[in-house]
Amino acid sequence: MRKSMVMLVCLIGVGLLSFPLVAGGILRYTQSFPTNIDPALGSDYSSTRTLTILYDTLVYPDTSGVPQPHVAERWDISADGKVWTFYLRSGVTFHDGTEVTAEDVAFSVDRILAIGEGWSYLFEGRIEKAEAVDKYTVKIYLTEPFGPFLTILYKLYIANKDLITVNIESPGPYGEFGDYGRGYLVSHDAGSGPYMIKEVSLGEFVLMERYPWYWSYVAPKAPNEVKQIGTTEAVTIKTMMSGQELEISDQWQAQESLQALDRLEGVDIAKLSLGGVYHYMIHTRKPPTDDVHFRKAMAFATDYNTIVTHIHPGFTQARGPVSASTPGFDPTTFQYSYNLDKALEELKQSKYYDQLDEYLVEIHWISEVPAEEKVALLLQAGFAQIGIKANVVRAPWLSVVEYMAAEDTSPHLVPMFMPSDFPEAGALLHSRYHSVSARSFQQNEWLLDPEYDRMIEEALATSDSEARFAKYAELQHYIADLCPTLFLVDDISQHAYQAAYLDWPAARGEGIPIIGYDLDARWIQIDTEKQH
Amino acid sequence: MRMGIFLLKRLGYSIFVLLGLSILVFIIARIMPGDPARLALGPRAPEWAVQRVRESMYLDKPLYAQYVYWLRDFVRGDFGESLFTRRDVATDIKEFLPATIELALFSGAIMAVFGILLGSISARYSNTWVDNVVRVGSYVGVCTPSFIFAVFFLLAFGYVLHILPSIGRLSAGVTKPPVITGMIIFDGLITGNFRAVGDTLWHLIMPGVALALGGMSQEARITRSAMSDNLKKDYIAAERAQGIPERVINLRYLLKPSLIPTVSILGLDFAALLANAFIVELIFNWPGMSRYGISAMLRKDLNAIIAVIMVMGVMFIVVNIIVDIVVSFLDPRIRLGAERSK
Repeated sequence: MRKSMVMLVCLIGVGLLSFPLVAGGILRYTQSFPTNIDPALGSDYSSTRTLTILYDTLVYPDTSGVPQPHVAERWDISADGKVWTFYLRSGVTFHDGTEVTAEDVAFSVDRILAIGEGWSYLFEGRIEKAEAVDKYTVKIYLTEPFGPFLTILYKLYIANKDLITVNIESPGPYGEFGDYGRGYLVSHDAGSGPYMIKEVSLGEFVLMERYPWYWSYVAPKAPNEVKQIGTTEAVTIKTMMSGQELEISDQWQAQESLQALDRLEGVDIAKLSLGGVYHYMIHTRKPPTDDVHFRKAMAFATDYNTIVTHIHPGFTQARGPVSASTPGFDPTTFQYSYNLDKALEELKQSKYYDQLDEYLVEIHWISEVPAEEKVALLLQAGFAQIGIKANVVRAPWLSVVEYMAAEDTSPHLVPMFMPSDFPEAGALLHSRYHSVSARSFQQNEWLLDPEYDRMIEEALATSDSEARFAKYAELQHYIADLCPTLFLVDDISQHAYQAAYLDWPAARGEGIPIIGYDLDARWIQIDTEKQH
Repeated sequence: MRMGIFLLKRLGYSIFVLLGLSILVFIIARIMPGDPARLALGPRAPEWAVQRVRESMYLDKPLYAQYVYWLRDFVRGDFGESLFTRRDVATDIKEFLPATIELALFSGAIMAVFGILLGSISARYSNTWVDNVVRVGSYVGVCTPSFIFAVFFLLAFGYVLHILPSIGRLSAGVTKPPVITGMIIFDGLITGNFRAVGDTLWHLIMPGVALALGGMSQEARITRSAMSDNLKKDYIAAERAQGIPERVINLRYLLKPSLIPTVSILGLDFAALLANAFIVELIFNWPGMSRYGISAMLRKDLNAIIAVIMVMGVMFIVVNIIVDIVVSFLDPRIRLGAERSK
């Protein structure tokens, strides 16, 4: 009897110890509607922030964006740089309790490539196939060497093959795979991340709760529940923040709203850099902006200081095509400044100097983003001071995208907020200036420069990161010298948050500067005694 | 029997109205700039994936063929996939429509009850301070958009006083009843989940009243006007001369005929609520169809745009038929007119 009692006490003790300590209230944040929680479909801010905590990835970034072992405890790469072998750790479990295996990784690769949506463009054309060698070893074959391969794996979410397979609805658009589980994954998850889906009310909220058997580190006071609320209305956000019904606001709030939120007791504004940029793209094949001196004249006639102090306060002036927070950024890249003497000097070297009256530069701004009008008018005023005539044109985004589809209809100047696909300078250097992006909204420059294409392709194919970063630096100088863009500011994501009871590493500059990881709830701690 | 024929005729006309509406919306939606498939999948999605979506929506076919395919699928109940939520549009509508109807019914009830009540009081106390207050209030109500009321209520009762819930349909911790109609109040009543019923009513106060005030003011003005006109009629003087009590005159002989224009406008206002709830739904994060429809339009979600407008069209037609029936019961001349025309 006594022996049985001792055993019972031991069992209870073991049970208590093995059940993780969960303490931390609820974390609520707003995002634009809707949120897509299917790992092969979601790729916007809202979806990516949710997917990051529902799913695990092979590697996980550190605070500098450098890949660290995660589900893959180690990896190696073939001599030709085309075959990556990942060795998975054992004991990682999905939310249904089954173990994560190499089969699941290979299935996740196949699924995202077959569906061709969401983050698939990162893998499309780069991954040839994925193959499970044994239970814990998976090989990924690339079509050609790709140096930053590990960083794009931040967006390869490992999904539960068995769970998805039993929930496939047939027939569907993917042949023998029916709908590939898309119907099921609208309101369920198939991940192994630190949080799992509790309830989805489409258009209203996504509620997640802690997965108690998560294998990796979660901060001691991380929230028990995370609720993503589908609204970005300023007055609603302010009301909720004031009543502590909301912990973190979305990044779409206007400056005036942020200032009002900042005045609330206990609320601060977090400024996160996720590697994005806000630039004006200049058409380099259309007179008069086809002349490099004309473009440089415009760059020197731009009042950057007014932009960062009045129009986008809190932002920093850009230095070249890459954000200063992105690994691979070169701080020695030339930075244009507001200098009308230099602007005139450049303009005089332009072949259009004597014909300025004959040309009207069109400065477009996107009607859905009212703040852009201020920038457009500022540019117009700056250009007027050196004799360049400019016309400010308001146009909806979809119309601008249509104009940019052809060289002759692309406007002279088009604004562009561009996030970085993966945390390396090569992401923007490729997506913005390589010839493949001409005709798309990503490039109004029409650079079409074979030499540049060769250089960026060579840089991306370089496996050694130090050598790759040196090539990125060379490309940044190349672009700055060509001046195909007005490099305005590095984009900052601004969020109001409850500083009084929230410890959010990203807000104090210690977060991970990658979309999704900036709001990873596993690192955010809540002082529940102060949270109402 | 004659009413049945009348209804059948109305339904017959309605089919032509809906057909015309579908052609109009179909063309307008497709001449908007931008490739909807590319827009849905994002600028960097591979071309083959975008092409697959184009083919699934017949966007690679001529416009008339697209319409024929769409009509065929629509008749079968297949509204296609939403490029915005990536689900079947029918599933989306099934989820979002009940929330909007619930909101509209609540607002409609406020509009009808308080609009008629205030109009009657105003007419009863015509040209007194009571009448003046109601009339000025009605002017303010009619000319103020519902989102102004919504913002005001949110700031007053959510931000300053913290006495009403700011967003959503249910509080955290309140169990949602199983979906039967999709309207939480009805589902809660059916399943005996009265906590959910009370909580939803609590959540409905701000959006519901904000949405109702415009229509309510309109109803009050029309009721007052109709009652004031009828008060001057000879039959009212005759009834008074016969010594019929004032209360009976007001309720039976004055209010009933005066409600005919009110009911007609009430029907239109109610149907308009369904479509106009957009900003109120947005401000209160109410997951309704009006918000869904506008979001679909902003993203050129062709299937969702057409389906939402068609559903709204059907709702307008249904409400108008109900109004016709109610008016025919209120006004014997209409019933008799219909019978004579036979």
